[in-house]
Amino acid sequence: MKFGGTSLANAARMKNAARIIQRYSPKNKVVVVASAIGNTTDQLTEIAELAKKGDLRRARKLLSKIQLSHRKIARIVAGRGETRELVAKIEQLNSELERTVEGIGHLRELTSRSRDYLLSFGESLSAPILAATLSAIGLRAQALTGAEAGIATDDNFGEAKPLIEISYHQVQQRLDPFLNRKMIPVVTGFIAATVDGSTTTLGRGGSDYTATLLAAALEADEIWIWTDVDGLMTADPRIVKNAAVLPNISFGEALELSYFGAKMMHPRALQPAGQKKIPVRIKNSSRPSKNGTLVSANESHNGGKVVKAVSIIRDVGIVTVSGSGMMGAPGVAAKVFQTLGSNNVNVMMISQGSSEATISCVVANRDVDRAVRALQLALMGQGYVDKITEEKDACIIAVVGSGMKGTPGVAARIFTAVARRKVNIRMVAQGSSEYNVSFVVSLKDGPEAVRAIHEEFNLGR
Amino acid sequence: MRIILAGFGTVGQALAQVLHQDADRIVQAYGFRPQLTTIVDSQGSCSDDTGLNIPLALKTKKEYGTVAKYPRQGHRNSDGTHLISNSEAEVVVETTPTNFKDAEPGLSNIKAALANGKHVVTANKGPLALAMPALLELANHRNRLLRFSGTVGGGTPFLDFAAKCMPGERIVRIRGILNGTTNYILTRMENASLTFEKALAEAQKKGYAERDPTNDVEGFDTAAKIVIIANWVLKKQYSLRNLDITGITKVTPQKLKEAKASRAKVKLVGRIEESSVSVAPEQVPTVDPTCVPDTLNALTFSTEHAGDITLIGPGAGGERTASAIVRDLVSIRQEYAA
Repeated sequence: MKFGGTSLANAARMKNAARIIQRYSPKNKVVVVASAIGNTTDQLTEIAELAKKGDLRRARKLLSKIQLSHRKIARIVAGRGETRELVAKIEQLNSELERTVEGIGHLRELTSRSRDYLLSFGESLSAPILAATLSAIGLRAQALTGAEAGIATDDNFGEAKPLIEISYHQVQQRLDPFLNRKMIPVVTGFIAATVDGSTTTLGRGGSDYTATLLAAALEADEIWIWTDVDGLMTADPRIVKNAAVLPNISFGEALELSYFGAKMMHPRALQPAGQKKIPVRIKNSSRPSKNGTLVSANESHNGGKVVKAVSIIRDVGIVTVSGSGMMGAPGVAAKVFQTLGSNNVNVMMISQGSSEATISCVVANRDVDRAVRALQLALMGQGYVDKITEEKDACIIAVVGSGMKGTPGVAARIFTAVARRKVNIRMVAQGSSEYNVSFVVSLKDGPEAVRAIHEEFNLGR
Repeated sequence: MRIILAGFGTVGQALAQVLHQDADRIVQAYGFRPQLTTIVDSQGSCSDDTGLNIPLALKTKKEYGTVAKYPRQGHRNSDGTHLISNSEAEVVVETTPTNFKDAEPGLSNIKAALANGKHVVTANKGPLALAMPALLELANHRNRLLRFSGTVGGGTPFLDFAAKCMPGERIVRIRGILNGTTNYILTRMENASLTFEKALAEAQKKGYAERDPTNDVEGFDTAAKIVIIANWVLKKQYSLRNLDITGITKVTPQKLKEAKASRAKVKLVGRIEESSVSVAPEQVPTVDPTCVPDTLNALTFSTEHAGDITLIGPGAGGERTASAIVRDLVSIRQEYAA
């Protein structure tokens, strides 16, 4: 079971999480993964930036805010027996944290290695507090860091890659003894260590990734991700009033959804679960009786529904490279993507007509100018590219469902539904997995397009 | 090449002997001199950065039972991981006794060595049986070599044959006899009509079986070799707990007779199939090439196009294993210098 930051944000939530664990622990072997409390990680990131600039005064102020809130929660949740021990542990971490911030501040240097070390304090603080909360209600729990639990990574600080086989082996070695003694290991999410013991963070995927790694190592029956929503939705409920919770989706669909910005696990985090076919359940910690969404290897079609969900990514723009000279000229596409890549522009979607006269790419709004400048510099004036145009304020609409595979006419229904609402489609792409069709419309038309599709495929409640 | 030797039993001592005897030949043929700079046994250690005096180390071990009594440079410190982590040697040779429960101290020794950027040659099967995928990943991550020719077949190159002589071919199945002790016991039970207990006692007397024969007769040794072959040759990520293992302690003269009636012999067979790995006594037809007598090992590789290929050769033994270790040291030298 993994608890997200909002599920542990204050003393009441912390106790709620403990009660959820208590409910399931007697009949199951439970391993708990704890995220940092609330938005601690964001605050630590800010402290890191402040300290790097040498603004120690503001860094210290923010730091004491973090220290205070953790102290406060710790005092409330811990039982009489544990309070002193827990407070001592927290004070020890707090002073290590202070020294780290002072160090960064004085050197005005923030390496990715020291950044990882600093960020690790969020989870290092929350895990012992959650473990003490469990002890207070009579459960036997042991707080462990990701490294203590056995997760080893390479030394790519900031986004370390787990050494899968070593981690699996070590996790079994370290956690099995606790589980056999009927103890609940409470493991810090997000953080791990290199084989020689330097602290690393798992980067994108974070605590979810920790949970799926531990589960895969222990060959768990299920992974439960406790968060602040009821599960994955058929669409953003702020856009579509009758959006519904998806009862189940496949790993393939979940991957597509997470690429397309649904509030969902990162694809990296899904990988270990997908590989070992361990079902992942996403549940709301405030409403634990709700079923949530089950992500599994099953490709159920939900009563014949070919489309499962529709999502929207805002704040994107289209960059189009065109020129009649591009037709039949080999290597232009390579040049375009190489240029974008070396300028750190992430390309989210691509389309090229088979006439080869234009190539369009969808990139984040903030990257549009940089992309255009870089492409102009690299491609113009060489005879084959005439024009590089940009169009900001667009959005990608992604329609996802494994049932689309091999079902003719889905694309036609999508585009007819959208056209009926007089929405102009700017660009289209379909992955060859056929799990999704995505297209681009202007930002103002986005919500209308989402509603049109949601209605067309009867996705609502 | 500076070497830490962890474990100074039969194999360790045989290796020291071979390195001492063949030192000049190795320098001439391969251009490097393997030097033992540290030897660790269960009660102590001795170190000399300029190379230990091997005959003296062997003599000390023989007289006192530990190298801790090695003149001047002997210590009571037998903490292998500590010695490995604080040494400048390039290679660790792991020959501590095999154990299939937690594989210690071998597992920690190998982990410490790779984590500290040292190459490893192991003759100890325990760590590989329990954690081979993890150790290979660690070696790869640290860009170091982990070699283990001595763990399977001793002098008979089962592992190298499959990995090096058959590129492009797909091996679909591997099965065979990988433990000399049990094969000897089964052969004696059949030829001299002995019970399992009597045959075991005879094998122990001849030095083919250890005083505690559990690892051999319960099939763990064969299983460990199967794990190593599955990982190395077929790239499957198995460890000992993925296997179904049955030993030979329940084999009765009656079963041998039944086998004989159908022109077969009972052998302890290790198998790697498409989706299963197992070790169990089974009837092997007398015409099958793996139906070998006494302490011989035999392994059949079933390939997609080239048919069945069988390798037969003597199994492990102190000197044979030492020769396999030297082979590994040479290959480390060749890849390392290249």
